[in-house]
Amino acid sequence: MDGDLSLSLDKLPVKRLQVIEENGAERFPPYLSYDDNRENLIRRIDFAWAVEREDTNKKQKKGETAASSKDASSSQPWPWQNMIENLQSAHQELSVIIDLINTVEANDAVTVAGMTRPKQLPNELLSDLAVSTATKLQCFRHLGKYFNQSAKSLEKQVAREARFYGALIRLQQNWKIKRHRMAATAAGNEGFYIDLFDYTLYDPKSVFRPTSLSMVRVEHDNAGMLALNLSSKSCHTLRFGFVNGDSNNIIRRSNTRVSEFSEDSDKEDKSDDGSVKQRHSDLREVHRAVFDEQVFNLINQEAFVPSLGMNVTGIRENHLQLNIDQEASVFVTLVTSSSNEDDVMPMIEGEEKQKQSYLPNRISSEILLKQLFHEHVFVRAKNRSLVGQLPKDGPNLLGHFCMSLAHRIFSSKVLTKLEDLARSVSYVGLMSHPTWHSRTSTWTLVVDVPQSILHTSSYVVSSSQFLTKVVVNDDCITIEGEGAPNVVGLFKGKSENSYSINRFECNLADLHVILLQQVASQIIRWLHEEALIVGMKASRDFLSLSFELDQGEVVGLVAQVDPEDIEGGISWWLVAENDAAEEYKLQKEDLDGETKRYLGHLSLDVLYATLLDLVTMCNNNGGNL
Amino acid sequence: MNKGGAGGGTSGAIGPTAAAAAAAAQKQKSLQKRVDDDIGSIVDTFGIVVNVARVNDPPVRNSQEAFMMEVRAAKMVQAADSLLKLVSELKQTAIFSGFASLNDHVDKRTAELNQRAEKTDKMLARIGEDAAAGLKEMESHYYSSLLRSNQNAQQ
Repeated sequence: MDGDLSLSLDKLPVKRLQVIEENGAERFPPYLSYDDNRENLIRRIDFAWAVEREDTNKKQKKGETAASSKDASSSQPWPWQNMIENLQSAHQELSVIIDLINTVEANDAVTVAGMTRPKQLPNELLSDLAVSTATKLQCFRHLGKYFNQSAKSLEKQVAREARFYGALIRLQQNWKIKRHRMAATAAGNEGFYIDLFDYTLYDPKSVFRPTSLSMVRVEHDNAGMLALNLSSKSCHTLRFGFVNGDSNNIIRRSNTRVSEFSEDSDKEDKSDDGSVKQRHSDLREVHRAVFDEQVFNLINQEAFVPSLGMNVTGIRENHLQLNIDQEASVFVTLVTSSSNEDDVMPMIEGEEKQKQSYLPNRISSEILLKQLFHEHVFVRAKNRSLVGQLPKDGPNLLGHFCMSLAHRIFSSKVLTKLEDLARSVSYVGLMSHPTWHSRTSTWTLVVDVPQSILHTSSYVVSSSQFLTKVVVNDDCITIEGEGAPNVVGLFKGKSENSYSINRFECNLADLHVILLQQVASQIIRWLHEEALIVGMKASRDFLSLSFELDQGEVVGLVAQVDPEDIEGGISWWLVAENDAAEEYKLQKEDLDGETKRYLGHLSLDVLYATLLDLVTMCNNNGGNL
Repeated sequence: MNKGGAGGGTSGAIGPTAAAAAAAAQKQKSLQKRVDDDIGSIVDTFGIVVNVARVNDPPVRNSQEAFMMEVRAAKMVQAADSLLKLVSELKQTAIFSGFASLNDHVDKRTAELNQRAEKTDKMLARIGEDAAAGLKEMESHYYSSLLRSNQNAQQ
């Protein structure tokens, strides 16, 4: 043993706390018996120094033997010697370690006194250094790759965001984009949405609130690009139709709209412009659907206000049926784009079919309805911005619309009658004057004096055209025309020369007759004028023109109007009166046919020629007919 | 840096109230602070990583440093990311809160669309007039045509 004495100190075998665990349990060192304690103490003696000394002795001996053997056989150095020694020392170290591990495994308390590391050889040092350097380099390379990767992904993210915001800006050019920060934190995206609700139609007092349809969320799709969250199923379209009209038309048309909300996920390489356009049109569809819903709500509100010309005959969810003046039955409905409408209420057969031809075009009626409400929206918006308060009376757009429809139906009936009249009488023409007002229509019946007659009497300015104006306001017909003799003249027994414009109203049933009478009286007046020009003494009554002959006889032309006459509405009679009777009526009880002769339907030049013949006849002799 | 411009925009609003101006200044300060923090952290972290490049003898320290380097690298990337988020936030604010430019744009667009609506209305009116003129012409031709008068005469 060397001179150094190493001491190891034990803890007193007092119960001293060794470990306290998390759950509060305390551990004390295990109480060992005296023998166990001694064993532990023995184990703790470090024999490493002895082992080492032995090693060095062995090494010295081996070195001597090697040297001696080297001297003996110097020509045979064993290159593996060092390696053997290294292996042996390694073996010893390993055995110590194994012992240590076994002891630990056997759960004995072991205290490591100290271990000295064998001095490293220089190449080992260098190799260690090399390994560390290589590791560090590897670490740095790894970091470099990581930086590259994250740079790329950040760049991609920036590009994606740029595209997203670019698309959003383009959307913002046309739509109202809002941001909801609370939803942003909840949903994980930025919380943008597009507000499609039109606040100009929104009445805060009404019960109808903005639909959920009107907020469209802007989201990221799979590629991180902008995508709109549209729910196409609940998009409604406002449809107008005539009950028992072409309802099949409606169904077909609504089906063509299903393809609007095409999720163009399969068109990946669609250009940005195309996708922007698609989005704009999608948003416009939703916007229109919101507007349609608002319009439908307004229609419902107005339908139950009692008004002229309209009553509600049926109501269902999203469907309203109205009756217009017993003329037609219409319905207004909200159709979802994916549904099949088969909602036609049972119709009355028979008489409805006739009226079909008088019904206005369904599509133009629908457009009129929507346009009325749309205009109303803008007028209201302007009023709000200028005045700041709403007009007191509701505009009653629906009533106006129904009256317009009624007017259209009525005026088409009037037009049919006018056309019949113009067809039946050859010298009457019809001119239409579009009024561009939905509840007024105007026509003019024109009687043209033939050119041949005009030439002959060209030295006197006379009228070449007689006009009768027919104006229909809602369902009220007004006839304006010249030539109807005024009442004063009638009473005086001779016609006055004042050809004032008279205006009177009539109903549909009498229209044909009255117009024929009007035209006939105009012709009579013209003939009267011509006769006066020629120099005859003539007098006219409502529908007759009479000439006095020398012997007091009176010869006259009488017009007969008959709307049922197919060949022509106005036919002429030649009447001769022997006595100066006051009646020129057709119903005169004259039994012999000689005093009345039926001339038939004459054109204007034939009439004129007849007139001239009469005139010459009256001038020549007394009148032997 | 464009944050100065955005900050100038927010604080240069026409007729701001005092509270709004104070809030805007506060926001600007906070944004600047964030930017400074982020960039400072990136630079510092990078410096640390470079400093730690030295190879030590006990390999324990090396592996310790390796781990630390990874952590710092992640921190740098996170700081860069937060910077980018800040930039995008500024962009959003500029786009969606630049009310003067937005209002201008909306007005311009409204005027443009109104003009288009007027043009369409005029076109519709013209179409109507053309249709009315055509109808008038056709009617006068029809009712004064020989065919019709012949037709009537034949009846």
